[in-house]
Amino acid sequence: MKRVFRVAVWTVVAAAGAGALAKIALHRGEPINAMWFVLAAVGCYLIAFRFYSAFLAARLLVLDDTRATPAERLDDGRDFVPTNKWVLFGHHFAAIAGPGPLVGPTLAAQFGYLPGTLWLVAGAIFAGCVQDFLILLFSIRRNGKSLGEMAREEVSRRGGFIAQIAVLAIMVILLGVVALVIVNALKSSPWATFTLAMTIPIAMLVGLYLRFVRPGRVLEASLIGVALVLFVVVAGQWVAESPSWAAAFTFSGVALAYALIAYGFAASALPVWLLLAPRDYLSAFIKAGAICCLAAGILFVRPNILMPPLTKFIDGNGPVFAGKIFPFCFITIACGAISGFHSLISSGTTPKMILREGHARMIGYGAMLLESFVGVMAMVAACAMRPGVYFAINSPAGIVGSSAEAAAHTISGWGYALTGSTMTDLARSVGETTLLNRAGGAPSLAVGMAQIFSSSIGGPRLLSIWYHFAIMFEALFILTVLDAGTRVGRFMIQELGGRVWKPFGRTAWIPGMLLSSALIVGMWGYFLYAGVVDPLGGINSLWPLFGIANQLLAAVALVVATTILIKMGRLRWLWVTVVPMLWLVIVTMTASYQKIFSANPRIGFLSFAQTLAAQLLAGKIPPEKLADTRRIIFNQRLDAAVTAVLALMILVLIAEAVVQWYLLLSKREPATLHETPYVATAWGENYSGLAHGDD
Amino acid sequence: METRDKSPRRLRGALRVFWRGLREWCGDAAYEQYLRSRTTRLSTEARLTAEEFYVERVNRRYSRPNRCC
Repeated sequence: MKRVFRVAVWTVVAAAGAGALAKIALHRGEPINAMWFVLAAVGCYLIAFRFYSAFLAARLLVLDDTRATPAERLDDGRDFVPTNKWVLFGHHFAAIAGPGPLVGPTLAAQFGYLPGTLWLVAGAIFAGCVQDFLILLFSIRRNGKSLGEMAREEVSRRGGFIAQIAVLAIMVILLGVVALVIVNALKSSPWATFTLAMTIPIAMLVGLYLRFVRPGRVLEASLIGVALVLFVVVAGQWVAESPSWAAAFTFSGVALAYALIAYGFAASALPVWLLLAPRDYLSAFIKAGAICCLAAGILFVRPNILMPPLTKFIDGNGPVFAGKIFPFCFITIACGAISGFHSLISSGTTPKMILREGHARMIGYGAMLLESFVGVMAMVAACAMRPGVYFAINSPAGIVGSSAEAAAHTISGWGYALTGSTMTDLARSVGETTLLNRAGGAPSLAVGMAQIFSSSIGGPRLLSIWYHFAIMFEALFILTVLDAGTRVGRFMIQELGGRVWKPFGRTAWIPGMLLSSALIVGMWGYFLYAGVVDPLGGINSLWPLFGIANQLLAAVALVVATTILIKMGRLRWLWVTVVPMLWLVIVTMTASYQKIFSANPRIGFLSFAQTLAAQLLAGKIPPEKLADTRRIIFNQRLDAAVTAVLALMILVLIAEAVVQWYLLLSKREPATLHETPYVATAWGENYSGLAHGDD
Repeated sequence: METRDKSPRRLRGALRVFWRGLREWCGDAAYEQYLRSRTTRLSTEARLTAEEFYVERVNRRYSRPNRCC
């Protein structure tokens, strides 16, 4: 009887998910309600978790709860800490969920809601969750080794080195592009700039409290910090309304770029406890709160989706970024569907804290499903606003013009009705002077979120507060990524440099620390600056570059996973990793090729450089813009070179792996797995790990 | 009657579990976990103070990728 009931329940879930998916895919004409998106996503996730992840756990990986994990065997209360499943789920989710699943879907909304939503759901189920789950389990069985170490041991020494270089390259591009998202959100906005600037002294205050007043009392210190952050969101309005204070906090894009570069250097060089760690604590609480609020807001307001399923920009001439759905939708949405960066988290802290192998399913597969859902919510928030408004916020001045009237004229010409006064009124209602040309996704997402929040609480009166709360929330955790990434990048540079000259590798050596901090900040700062002065808005060049790099790292992770599966003898199920790996290789290689060689100057780095060079030669560039144009030409060629190097590195790694697979499959080389030997767990079946040591 | 008596106890139990989980999630209970860990209990080395442990923990935590994009 119970079995019949279970079958009936899962049949209903499957039917509801499939029905909702069909509804959003086939719907045309009138706006569709956002609840269909929620139902489709949740239905698909439940089915995927119940059946596909169970298949992976039981057949492919054969998870063994009797096997002691590194957290049990090596428990040191520092790195290796046995942690309750749900606590670790929260840890892991907080670590993998960054700005990517919010910004990527918002940008991809220019194709309409359908391609992005389908990729978010299907990509997560068949690629992203699989990658996170497998890498987590393989790392658990290797004492928490990193992806680079596993690549070195299981594929080849060169594979490990390539993975390390790829991670550093991704870090540099990632930091450059997320910094650009902040710059575009803050420029000419005294309210947002003041709020974000104030989070720095607040974080330092929290840091001092945690270090000297109540060491390690994160909860109470964070609550004080969160209260202060919420206060400065409100206080920002007073700053924006005061002419002298507003002038003091109004900066151009270039000035903000320099400020962020200086901040990144300081965050990397200052003690971690003073700025980086406390900011991360604040960010974690605000992130969790804002995501829950967004989910609750969507359920409460149930907004209509005003963006059509497909826009005319599937032809590749989109104003936000250029390029057709294939391959650009699949690299623009990285983190919500599959993100190579997650494999670093899955082979970092999480495997050292997991209590039982069986928990890897919920933590590896389940947390990625939740991240995908965050992406779907971001898509809903972006598509719930009027398409004309969406394009006005996200299009660069070079395409739609810099005045409200010019933008309205251009965008109305595309078939998306918009008047200049709509943009002026909207900007005024959110407490800004303008919302035009804010490419990067953050402001449009903030408008979408603010409209949903204000429909739940406060009405139009609180729209400006909600908008700046959303901007603060996005900028705060982008800054956390920026300072944490800069510090990790610094360590990577020191590790690589230490191979050439030993003292440079010592992280406590001050000259080495300052030089490596300057190097990493200089590298991402260069990309940031190039993005800020780019006439096409920067995001057009940098976000695809970041997407390519991130997806290439995912391909590396899937190559490592495939090699391990071959060594484990799971040949029958190899398609689990090979299919998403091939898809990613095809997508990233096509995107890389187009970004380098496309004849369309808005897509191809080289053709854009060539177009500008021709204009330069023909004397069509005004004298005051000569230096800038030469710099843009150089930047485009640099972007082309970076893309080519990344693609080549991954092709080399894949070639190495294919040779290795051939040797293994033809039995010319023994299949040597580098797993730690089996040790039986000493913990009982009901041991939960909560307040470990009490039990 | 018995069920009514059990409800507040269950609620208290659930709140206690939630509170413990929250403290462990945000790192508030990290020092207590360190003191309870097997290595610390068995080690002959001097135990770190709460302040030393906190600084060491954040230094270690932020020296590797721990926040994704």
